[in-house]
Amino acid sequence: MERVDLIIVGAGPSGLSAAIAAKEYGLRTVVFDENEKPGGQLFKQIHKFFGSKEHKAKIRGYKIGQELLKEAAELGVEVVLNSTVIGLYQDKEITVRIADEIRHYKGDTIIIATGASENMVMFDGWTLPGVIGAGAAQTMLNLHGILPGNRILMLGSGNVGLVVSYQLKQCGCDVVAVIDAAPKIGGYGVHASKIARTGIPFYLPYTIIKAEGTDHVTGVTIGKVDSTWNIVPGSEKHFDVDTICLAVGLSPMSQLLKMAGCTMEDTPKKGGQVPVINKYGETSVSGIFVCGDVSGIEEASSAMIEGKIAGIAAAYSLGYLSADVQCEETAKLENALSSLRQGMFAPGKRGTAIEFTEEGFPVSAHLLINGYLSEDEALCYPGVTKADGVHPMIECTQNIPCNPCQDACQNGCIKIGEKITSLPAVNGEQNCVGCGMCVAACPGQAIFLVNDDYEPGFASITIPYELLTLPQKGETGIGLGRHGEILCQAEVIEVRAAKVFDRTNLVTIKVPSQMSMKVRFYQKKEA
Amino acid sequence: MNRIKEHPILGEIKKGRLVTFHYNGQSMEGYEGEPIAVALKASGVLIHRYTKKLHKPRGIFCAIGRCTDCVMVVDGIPNVRTCVTPLKEGMVILTQYGVSAEPFEV
Repeated sequence: MERVDLIIVGAGPSGLSAAIAAKEYGLRTVVFDENEKPGGQLFKQIHKFFGSKEHKAKIRGYKIGQELLKEAAELGVEVVLNSTVIGLYQDKEITVRIADEIRHYKGDTIIIATGASENMVMFDGWTLPGVIGAGAAQTMLNLHGILPGNRILMLGSGNVGLVVSYQLKQCGCDVVAVIDAAPKIGGYGVHASKIARTGIPFYLPYTIIKAEGTDHVTGVTIGKVDSTWNIVPGSEKHFDVDTICLAVGLSPMSQLLKMAGCTMEDTPKKGGQVPVINKYGETSVSGIFVCGDVSGIEEASSAMIEGKIAGIAAAYSLGYLSADVQCEETAKLENALSSLRQGMFAPGKRGTAIEFTEEGFPVSAHLLINGYLSEDEALCYPGVTKADGVHPMIECTQNIPCNPCQDACQNGCIKIGEKITSLPAVNGEQNCVGCGMCVAACPGQAIFLVNDDYEPGFASITIPYELLTLPQKGETGIGLGRHGEILCQAEVIEVRAAKVFDRTNLVTIKVPSQMSMKVRFYQKKEA
Repeated sequence: MNRIKEHPILGEIKKGRLVTFHYNGQSMEGYEGEPIAVALKASGVLIHRYTKKLHKPRGIFCAIGRCTDCVMVVDGIPNVRTCVTPLKEGMVILTQYGVSAEPFEV
């Protein structure tokens, strides 16, 4: 049996962050991960992260993963891959299965960072090949470069369902619908809007009645759910699909903690069975800490901060740093964490209906049901203003902790202020130069540059574009509205793909003046 | 073809060398090191196994080695999770019936 200062189970964002923090204080640390590669789910997250600079906002998840691995490698963090921790026993002993061997290790401290697993939902035909988890779709697309299917129905409108639907669309899959048994879209409105404008419809409250097919999925029937969870007769709809994706939430993988005798609690707001912990992530068993999704389902951004807190706490408990240093370092991290836990989607607010923003604007009901703002609603928000010449139009209407747009603008056109959940406000008096930095910086793709004075009778609109085939300057295609409806002819007058935009390309189109508040996407004409 | 040639964000997805493997007696190609399940999917294989009692088809479900729905008989070993087992040249991959490669008696 080998003995180390700290054993970490899981080399995802939180486990690696914990290892880096502990290693910096000199702890002999070993990280076990059952996968072939480290990084957990970060390498599948190709969207730009929300948050502020300190949370690595506007950086794509997989790049944050690369940074973490580099940092861990430079510090000499030992990561043992293809090794499954199968037991956590008294006195912080663990058993690890590596190939066909079971080995014993003892850690003076242990950090469990095992993350979460996907929830499932059963319906007629749910075991057919072609019914997959949304995580599986993400893994196939972004790690292995293969399409999970061609025509896909997504069940679940939380952020995972929305983000994966977009990723499928990015690779050219036809997403026939996003459905959810809940009456309101669960994820960020901006994520919903960016898929709605590509023409993907939302059906709420709907659920799957049956996956059709004998050997594999060939279709799906959905139906509307009433308040007693029964299908409304006559509401059934059929789609021809080859794949059904399930994005119905995550559950903490806390089995090892239970095994170790940690006091557990069942907390729906955290996603299920989680250990009872103190502010340092320490469980009821002294020396066993947790961080990341295993302690409650959140984002990778918060998991990384929790990891650092747990790593520092483990170092302190073994005497590698003083109480003062721990207090000081932890306080900084807690600040960063609490700013991420603000707003309408904060962990504590799960399941509560919110009618007004922090600023007192009514929350768009249309957005929550259909996935996009109605034009009338859009005009109510501080990011949507009329101004002369080119100016940003920010259709960001929910309080989420995110502020890269404010930093992106060098001319002070965009203001969020100290509180990072505030809705961005556009100051029409300032001089927008049309640089497009805000458009590319917005992780929600909610910023457009509009110029109502482009040409007599015509306006220009700059849209963020991340789909596969980039439009070419000079081509003429179709201007689409907020739910992908065909509105008008649109001429591509500029395409910007600068490195600094990090693959959020900026496509500027010319549309008739009366379309400037309506057109929000561009579609190439069928060849 | 369901392989992504050019990804709008990730660009080209790096793969190992092209190798040959055997699926139920049929010769197929895939990239070395990618999960067996991905190589099979690229060749249009959706059914990985049939369940022991009800003989129902199963394929990829979680794709991260958790659910065990995609297990097959690989080089004579049953219950190999094809979604997390890297493809090697010359592998012999068979549909799994229950826990073996022997088809059920009808």
